[in-house]
Amino acid sequence: MKKSFLERASAYPHIVWSVLFIIAPLIFVVYYTFTDADGAFTTENIARLFTSNYVLIFVNSVCLALIATVICLVIAYPLAYIFSRMREKWQRIMILLIMIPLWMNFLITTYSWMTILEDTGIINSILSVFGLSVHMINTPGAVVVGMVFCFLPYMILPIYTVMSGIDEKLLEAAADLGCSGWQRLTKVVMPMSLSGVISGITMVFVPSISTFYISQKLGGGTFQLIGDTIESYFVGTAINYHFGAALSLVLMILILISMAVMNHYTDAEETERRRIK
Amino acid sequence: MSMNGKKLIELRGITKSFDGEVVLDNISLDIYEDEFITLLGPSGCGKTTTLRIIGGFESPDSGDVFFDGVRINDTPPYKRHINTVFQRYALFPHLNVYENIAFGLRVAKVKDDEEISNRVREMLEMVNLKGFERRHVTTLSGGQQQRVAIARALINKPRVLLLDEPLGALDLKLRKDMQNELKNMQKRTGITFIYVTHDQEEALSMSDTVVVMNEGSIMQIGTPTDIYNEPKNAYVADFIGESNIVDGVMLDDFSVKMSGQTFVCVDKGFGKNTPVDVVVRPEDVDVVAPESGMLRGKVTSVTFKGVHYEVIVDIGGFKWMIQTTDYVAPDAVIGIDIEPDAIHIMNKSEYSGMFGDYSSFSDELDALSENSEEEED
Repeated sequence: MKKSFLERASAYPHIVWSVLFIIAPLIFVVYYTFTDADGAFTTENIARLFTSNYVLIFVNSVCLALIATVICLVIAYPLAYIFSRMREKWQRIMILLIMIPLWMNFLITTYSWMTILEDTGIINSILSVFGLSVHMINTPGAVVVGMVFCFLPYMILPIYTVMSGIDEKLLEAAADLGCSGWQRLTKVVMPMSLSGVISGITMVFVPSISTFYISQKLGGGTFQLIGDTIESYFVGTAINYHFGAALSLVLMILILISMAVMNHYTDAEETERRRIK
Repeated sequence: MSMNGKKLIELRGITKSFDGEVVLDNISLDIYEDEFITLLGPSGCGKTTTLRIIGGFESPDSGDVFFDGVRINDTPPYKRHINTVFQRYALFPHLNVYENIAFGLRVAKVKDDEEISNRVREMLEMVNLKGFERRHVTTLSGGQQQRVAIARALINKPRVLLLDEPLGALDLKLRKDMQNELKNMQKRTGITFIYVTHDQEEALSMSDTVVVMNEGSIMQIGTPTDIYNEPKNAYVADFIGESNIVDGVMLDDFSVKMSGQTFVCVDKGFGKNTPVDVVVRPEDVDVVAPESGMLRGKVTSVTFKGVHYEVIVDIGGFKWMIQTTDYVAPDAVIGIDIEPDAIHIMNKSEYSGMFGDYSSFSDELDALSENSEEEED
């Protein structure tokens, strides 16, 4: 169908926006990755990535992000299920409570966690009454706690949205056909909420793997994640746009691959479902 | 006939309230093996709640449910030999037709794929959906989804099938076809069908037994002909088909007085000079010349209905409905005759005087109240 001029024109702002803020920066990233300080073509930046130091940083980042994602999923899934089966009024209240932390800048949230987890922080003050103390700040555990707290809502919301769309009658039908409570969950709720889980995982994993603020404040610089490393090459002492760009590019590719894998699973299911004999 | 069968389900003194509102008030009901029983009533009469209690989706506040002589009040739905065809089908959207139907077998841990595929095919054949195995349920029409829902509910060979207004969402023609098919299916399988509907015609044409309900109570239990010919009170007479319900006095056995005339009837045992309700079905009234009629009145409206005319006649201030194949002109004065066996006598009840007068009769009003029935509790 032929679109009118006005219809086409209405897309232009978006196109300009995309070119300015998405495509142009991407071209810069690729350009910097494959050039040296003199602007000559080089693959050295990529080669340097594969020295053990950086591989380890990548592996660490992936591991922490995965752990945070799994913890988010384990907490969010049952919560989302319980919320979705509550009375409508209570559903709204619970979702509001989940959203409230999102209204606060996450830098502030991270600072709050610092004061909670510090050696002289709230938890240790309480523990000291019993003569105990636990070192928490500046450990990978503290970073994971920070990630989980900041990104948990992004896991709960998509799962809750999908689950609240599951008709109560379907659960009754499953019970009617012989499903115990657990089987109703595995045979109806889980397969039907898979798409929510996939988007939840993506929405938690991606910011987790690229975060630098949480790891700096709660990790205290005792170990580096990929986000910190990239940041250090752009604003730190050892400024090197070319290597920083190479790191960013590889991180992006890594994220794209994991998203493609995730989507593959949901897509395969969708096509199976849509296939008509 | 069903009544000779074994008693399968017994409801004893079932009471149920939601938020302080009594939905079922001391219901007792026996359901037999191989019976097609219909719970019939307007929306909010408690028929769906009764069905849900039998299915195990609600538990009664008081009273007992027995299945095969065993009390099953606390048995969860998945342990009952009862399956349900839900009002809006409730098919699993993440599964195709084959897997929807096979669901019950998979849950029952039938491991043999060949057995599953044979039984699914058998079910598809029964509901006339051969070749639909791989179709996704959202691509099916309402009627086809309905058939999948029936196949899915029957594959585990339940002793009882519950059907909650299963044909409500289908158009008239399809509904008639499905009524016949369901009736045949019930005969063929020998499974007890418990059917919920607000459509009295559907109830009469399909059931062995009809249970008329109103406001959480059972008004009458009987065969379709009993319910139609021998309604127990004005409520049943009005709900099942059209009825003229006239104030009368039973003078003696076989003699009743109404509209100032004495009629011969076939009823007895009411005592002498007892006030009663007299039911006359519109199709049982004969139109005759004014001077030779037992009663005389003026035609106030005539509506062509296809097979007959629906005529409203004012007889001494009471408006009768008459169905006749002969045309009569509006405003004409006509006479009517009523045969003794067309007169049915009922004791006075709390419903006396509430129904059976066509002075406020209008098709529009009827259509309105029918639409509001669509949304069932």
